[in-house]
Amino acid sequence: MAKKMGRRARKFAKKNLQSVMKRKRKLNALFQKKFAPRRAQSDSPEESKNLKNDMQTPVDPEQEILDGIVSTNPFGDLFIKEDDDSAADASDSDGYLSEDPECPYISEDEEESCPEEMCKDVVLLEQNTEINQRLKNQKRKLSKLCKKDPQFSKFLESRRSEFLKSKSEEIYSDDEGDTSSMDDEYIVGNEISQVSKVITSSTVDVWCWLVMEQPNWPGLANLLNAFRAACHYGLDTGEVSPVKIANREVFCKILTFVLSEAKRIFCGLLRISGFSNKETILKMKNKPEWKTTRSLIKSFLRSSLFLLNQETDNQILVFVLSQIRLSILLFSAFPSLTKKLIKISIHLWVTGDKDLSASSFLILRDIASEFSLDNIDTCLTKGFGAFIANSKFMKPQNIEHIEFLENSVVELYSLDIQKSYQKVLMSVQQLASILRLALKTKEKDELKKIHSWQYINCISLWVKFVSCNYKNHDLEQLLFLIIGVIKGIAHLFPGPRYLPLRFKCVKMLNQLSFSSGVFIPVESLLFDCLEIRGTNNAEGTKLKHLDLALLLKVPNQLLKSQDFQQASVLSAIKLLAEHLSQWCYHVSFPDLATIPLILLKRFHENTSIESVRRPVKRFIDQVQQNSDFIQRKRDEVSFSPKDKESVDSFLQLEKCDRSVAFTKFYDNMLQNALA
Amino acid sequence: MGKKRKVILPPDLPPEVADNDIEVSDEDLEFIGQNREYAGFLTKLDTKSIDRHVKRVAGHESDDLEALYEQRKRKASLLKQNDDDDKLQVDPVDALPVKTLDGKLEYRTVDRTKSEAITNEKDNTEENEKDMSVVKLTKKEKRLKIKKSRKEAKKEAKVEEKGNVGVEKLHTEVLAKVEEDLSAEELFRKKKIKLAEIGLQLLENPEENIKSLKELLKNCDDGNQNIVKLGLMSLLAVFKDIIPGYRIRLPTEKEMEMTVSKAVLKQRFYESTLLNSYKAYLAKLIAMEKKPSLRQVAVRCLASLLDAVPHFNYRENILAIVIKNISSPDDTIRKLCCNATKSIFLNEGKHGGEATFEAVRLIAQQVKIYECQLHPDSIEVLSSLTFDEDIGKPDTQAEAVKIKKKGKWKTPDGSNKLQGSEKKKTRQESLAKTREEVTADFKSVSFAPDSRERKRMQSETLSAVFEIYFRILKHSTDSHASRSTTDAASFSHGSSSLPLLAPCLKGLGKFSHLIDLDFMGDLMRCLKQLAGYSDHGTIQNPLSVSERLQCCIVAFRVMRNNLEALNIDLQDFFVQLYNLLLEYRPDRDQGEVLAEALKIMLCEGKQHDMQRAAAFIKRLATFSLSYGSAEAMAALVTLKHLLQKNSKCRNLLENDAGGGSLSGLVSKYQPDATDPNLSGALGSVLWELSLLTKHYNSSISSMAASIMSMGSVNPAQSQVFLSTASPLQAFRDSSILCELSKPTSKSATSRQKQRELQKDYVLMDPEVMQNGNLVDEDEVRRKLEDRFAVHKVITENERLRKELNHTLSSISLYEEYNRQKKQKRKRTTKRVLGD
Repeated sequence: MAKKMGRRARKFAKKNLQSVMKRKRKLNALFQKKFAPRRAQSDSPEESKNLKNDMQTPVDPEQEILDGIVSTNPFGDLFIKEDDDSAADASDSDGYLSEDPECPYISEDEEESCPEEMCKDVVLLEQNTEINQRLKNQKRKLSKLCKKDPQFSKFLESRRSEFLKSKSEEIYSDDEGDTSSMDDEYIVGNEISQVSKVITSSTVDVWCWLVMEQPNWPGLANLLNAFRAACHYGLDTGEVSPVKIANREVFCKILTFVLSEAKRIFCGLLRISGFSNKETILKMKNKPEWKTTRSLIKSFLRSSLFLLNQETDNQILVFVLSQIRLSILLFSAFPSLTKKLIKISIHLWVTGDKDLSASSFLILRDIASEFSLDNIDTCLTKGFGAFIANSKFMKPQNIEHIEFLENSVVELYSLDIQKSYQKVLMSVQQLASILRLALKTKEKDELKKIHSWQYINCISLWVKFVSCNYKNHDLEQLLFLIIGVIKGIAHLFPGPRYLPLRFKCVKMLNQLSFSSGVFIPVESLLFDCLEIRGTNNAEGTKLKHLDLALLLKVPNQLLKSQDFQQASVLSAIKLLAEHLSQWCYHVSFPDLATIPLILLKRFHENTSIESVRRPVKRFIDQVQQNSDFIQRKRDEVSFSPKDKESVDSFLQLEKCDRSVAFTKFYDNMLQNALA
Repeated sequence: MGKKRKVILPPDLPPEVADNDIEVSDEDLEFIGQNREYAGFLTKLDTKSIDRHVKRVAGHESDDLEALYEQRKRKASLLKQNDDDDKLQVDPVDALPVKTLDGKLEYRTVDRTKSEAITNEKDNTEENEKDMSVVKLTKKEKRLKIKKSRKEAKKEAKVEEKGNVGVEKLHTEVLAKVEEDLSAEELFRKKKIKLAEIGLQLLENPEENIKSLKELLKNCDDGNQNIVKLGLMSLLAVFKDIIPGYRIRLPTEKEMEMTVSKAVLKQRFYESTLLNSYKAYLAKLIAMEKKPSLRQVAVRCLASLLDAVPHFNYRENILAIVIKNISSPDDTIRKLCCNATKSIFLNEGKHGGEATFEAVRLIAQQVKIYECQLHPDSIEVLSSLTFDEDIGKPDTQAEAVKIKKKGKWKTPDGSNKLQGSEKKKTRQESLAKTREEVTADFKSVSFAPDSRERKRMQSETLSAVFEIYFRILKHSTDSHASRSTTDAASFSHGSSSLPLLAPCLKGLGKFSHLIDLDFMGDLMRCLKQLAGYSDHGTIQNPLSVSERLQCCIVAFRVMRNNLEALNIDLQDFFVQLYNLLLEYRPDRDQGEVLAEALKIMLCEGKQHDMQRAAAFIKRLATFSLSYGSAEAMAALVTLKHLLQKNSKCRNLLENDAGGGSLSGLVSKYQPDATDPNLSGALGSVLWELSLLTKHYNSSISSMAASIMSMGSVNPAQSQVFLSTASPLQAFRDSSILCELSKPTSKSATSRQKQRELQKDYVLMDPEVMQNGNLVDEDEVRRKLEDRFAVHKVITENERLRKELNHTLSSISLYEEYNRQKKQKRKRTTKRVLGD
């Protein structure tokens, strides 16, 4: 029915409302022109992206990024499928709701007389006045011409109509698709002919009050239309909105009110207490109220999405996201909108600042945990893809952000292990096969693939995933595979140049060992750095701070520097302490510490770097102390190594207390590192 | 014609068209002779450019004449066009580039002239190019005819060319340039073809065409290096093919005097020609070897000759050059030489072993001259030598020995030449017995020298090889002593100063069974010194861990083969291995060498002293706690072997209070002792194994578990544990690549049985997450208002721009309107006029 109406209305308009259509087309045509100056002003990528989206250009920057990974990144293409959001976008033609004619409009002459009062953009204002001036001049000139030659105005008219005719043909060919997809939209056929109503602040106040008082108040549609207009404000797509927002207070009020009260309003309409879980939504769909509320809800959600897409300010976005999140379950009724929401949230999650990233992550997490399996899949896939695409570079500025992204991906994947296990396994296997190839061929290109932040971040992501979930799930196979891959990386890049990479590997191995309780020997990977010998005090290139965490490979000029040696020895000691601390209650600790102790003592004797002597000495003493302690303790016991239970119970009491000196030493070390 | 002459007369005009590129059919020439009006197609040419060129080239030729000429021609052309249809089409095309040529052309013309003159001379055409006259046409005709008979038509496109002398001038310029490129190419191709032809002839019938060798040789003197290379290569191919399977002995004078049959004469002639050419060829190659640009080709030829015909005359000369280059810094040359030498060693049947000896002797000289500073490859080749001790023995017995040997110890390099000295005696007995019949057999089968001769040769070769090895060892120990005080930084690159040590050790290991007992003492001393461990750490030893391990391995190999004859204490080597275990670094040192050392020193051979065995068991267990899976696995396998052999050491598996009673001198375990005998390991307990059972690698954890259970089992049953795996095998099996390719299962089974979503955060702090969500609403409101305001201004801006554009376009339309109006008016006026 609705569909038919929409189409009929359109046909009617085409036939009888020639002039109106003309105007519409004209606006359309000019709309395209206006982007030229506009784009020059808006240099933020987000805005330009939104513009593009609006014009329904097939290429969407985010997609490009993903595509980029697919082509450049063999391990990023894991589960990124071709996403056909463009189709969904097209079908989601947006329109105004049919309004309640009874709705009170309090006209009040409060049209903002001076829009400039608040605007800080002086340049734009100046530009406006300048253009205005020029416009006046040109208009004068034109009218002079017309006056001079009356035939010219006729000519002008004919040219313009010709031009528009050619334009309109294109438009109509596009429009056919639209009309068919306008289901359940009460498109108001004669909306154009309507004079747009001005909404004043008192009108809004009255509306708000009414909405709050009577849940079934029909004027809600008007309010939502106003909300839509507010969301679309400043970016009219050629259509004339039936409402006009009078001033900024109205704008602000509409947005904040609708966003924050939406949950209450819709709950009231549907007569439910709240959207607690999926079942309520399913139930709600069967309710008779659903039919009437559906379009209202859809309009609200769509407008909010539009706002999200448009907005560039982080705080506003955080606000909108947090409000949307309250009623996020509404999205589950509209799969295409959900998809859009996922896309937007992922974009914001990846690009936004701390708060924005966090709130978009919450949205994603909600979708992944509450929605249908399909959506979880999309969330996981896209989330991982976006993470990979954004982890190409590590800088001091983004290290925190990447860590947050990494944690969020782990959170998302941990929601449903059964489901995500396959994906993770696939990803790790892909990483392993890349590594295998590199180990076999040792070709430069293959090595480069592994020696990249993307690869390392990917591995560290899955390491985190495994260590978070190992306790509750059977991830042994995955664990062994990952250990193999990490060991392979360490093996593939020997030599002091790659020490930072090796430290990362050891760190990950420690992490895995700690969470899974299996023994992973890492000591031999660290002995190397005790043997680097550079020229002492070479070149005098003192760096302020050498952060090995930000490097994979040490630049050549640093290789011989004392800073690097110092940093590497200290990191090695830290990692060694990490490794030893895990087993410091184990009966075989003295044996585990034997070789490191011998080598460290020798290093301590021979090293020429004074600055590392003290920490090394301290470390040796601590290890020795713990070793002696365990030795004493185990001399007292009577069980043999093969007595597994007794071995496991050895010193468990002390372990729980964390009372041994070495634990304290290690905790101290960690705290120092944090400070 | 007179007309024409006036135009073309300029004496310093360039010669006509590229002669050897242009084929002119007789018909064309005739046609030209008969039809003087051919000039017709000039009309289609760019007369201006022609004028220009004519003027430039010809200097001060009168313009008037030309103008006249042109005019007349144009008229004539109208009449003649039909006749020259095809020419008309071709010539402009040829002439086209003329248009684009500019002032520079003048130089070019001169150049072309010269180069052309050269080529013409080469082709033995006697014409004087500069003399351009009417007579020329005929001369040219003649020459062209000669040419044509000599070659086949190749440049069809140019066939039409000849005709007009006037046009020729143009062509000369255009084509001269093309020609130069072509002539070089052409010449090259011609020579190439010639080479191929001669080569083929030689291959087809060497007896008849043996003289062509000289011609081929001549080609190698060509100025063009490519031709030289080709010549050398084709000669190589020819020689490889036609050189007979025997050494040519030129007839003595006496023999020459004797009257012989025609066939013999012919054969003699053939052989002497072949030998002379070969000699000349080699001389050329040897000369070229000194030229950097041709060195590679020369060495390639020499190397493949050595490979293909090592039995033939002048082998010594070739060998000398090849061995000289065996340590060349150029990778390809070195590789060629090494491969050639290797093939000499491997295919002794081809030359009867003489060449082997010569090569080894030459290498020894090289080593001596360069004081061991050669490329490792040059010593590496020696390891492909084979010393056949079974010379003259019946096959059956030899095989039986081989099988026996295989059962006892498998050598990794697959050589089956290892011999126990105790077997030598029996072998020699049987050798004497069967010598006669075998020599008879040999003689009937091959031309090789008899076994006694071969034996002599082999022993000479062998002594030369060991001379090389000992020289290197001596040099290494000397420099070791002198270097021990030098900078510590060189430690990790220690091997670079002793490039030959590694292959030398490898070779010694391989031929250890052949070493003369007299040398044994010195050798062991050397090795001990090289492997030497000092208490002050590794710094004083410039050798890498792998090399030191290799020293130990060689020492053990040598000892094992001569156990009865010698009584040298190997304790020092055990001490070194004990300490080297700590020096070993994965990825820097070769794990396979370590595994082999473990195998040879600990798994094989006689029983160990209990103290030492215990010390090694303890150290290996500790070692496997710190190192990667492959190393750990090798260590554990060795450990298991040791435990099996030394049943008393199984006490280490038990935490037995009485264990200390066995410990002897040292009652408490000293982990950092450097001497295994003083470590007191017997008093320790293998606690390591309990941690190793937690090892992520399942094979290691199960290995550790199985070792742990050994203690409790009755020693009588210990046979059960006898595993055949060697440390080396274990090392390879658990390498990283193997670890990576293990299959993984496809599903994760949750420990919580029912599938439910995990709602808790696993990583993040939920409170932090929630708090992060709080937004200052006032701030948001303010920002929203700002946004509104900005958007309003922007909208306004857009609207204004829109209108401005609109107006501007309207104004610009006015001009169009005016134009149209004017046109309309014109049209109407025209129509009015037309009417």
